[in-house]
Amino acid sequence: MQRIVPMLVYADAPAAIEFLGKAFGFEVRFRMDMPDGSVGHAELALGDAVVMLASEWPAGGVVSPLRLPALHAQLFVRVDDVDAHFERARAEGATIAAEPADQEYGDRTYRAIDPEGQRWIFGAPLASKRPTARASRVGTSRRASSRAASRRRAK
Amino acid sequence: MSLPPPPGWPRISSALFYDDAAAALEWLEKAFGFVTRLRVEDGPGRIVHSELELDGGVVMVASADANRRSPRSLGGANTQALCVYVDDVDAHCERARANGATLVTEPADRDYGDEYWADRGYEALDPEGHRWWFCQRLRSRS
Repeated sequence: MQRIVPMLVYADAPAAIEFLGKAFGFEVRFRMDMPDGSVGHAELALGDAVVMLASEWPAGGVVSPLRLPALHAQLFVRVDDVDAHFERARAEGATIAAEPADQEYGDRTYRAIDPEGQRWIFGAPLASKRPTARASRVGTSRRASSRAASRRRAK
Repeated sequence: MSLPPPPGWPRISSALFYDDAAAALEWLEKAFGFVTRLRVEDGPGRIVHSELELDGGVVMVASADANRRSPRSLGGANTQALCVYVDDVDAHCERARANGATLVTEPADRDYGDEYWADRGYEALDPEGHRWWFCQRLRSRS
């Protein structure tokens, strides 16, 4: 079971559900629509993993990124094929903050921003994704500090 | 998604930004039971990246900057919360409260009906205002 599940907030949750499906591949596994057209609770699956999603509730302190000048959190998602995922996301209108690139800590990642401003990083380990890259990485420093520093830059 | 995520990683994890990330790590360990597995600083006490685990779940914590800010510099608003499944939500809540968590809702049972599920959970804010739900599943969807 997934121990920690992000619960994402959107102003237009039905549109967000549609976008996350088309662009990022999330499938709706549960959805509770409210009489006013908002979404009370939804669960979107990507493979074996889940995010929850709901319409914003400003009075309760949960709002779309559209309302804020910056974010306090972002998401990191492991996918099978970063480049294929990127092509699909771009074709469906995701804002690309960084195109796919090999990171020295050992992942290939790209960064996307969804229509309301939630920020996503999609990544896969280089070794399993691109066996041809393995030789060039032999001897590369894998110190945690180096890996983490470049992971931070990837944010 | 047919390939498993890399060892030690869930498929989806969140990164959270704090004005005082070093204090956040200490607090998340004491109050919520996380264990820091990686901590990277680019200066004394300034954390640029860290990874914290809770029973297989992972969150990343980093220092805030202009575009990635603490909730307390965003009027307390949150654009996402984290829902964490724990074994004993009442014990977890007492530990969190004793360490200064702000309880938004006290632990309570929520039964969404036979077609759905039942949880016992509480909602809390950490010292910089990130929003957390801790839940214990009482009955799963059949």
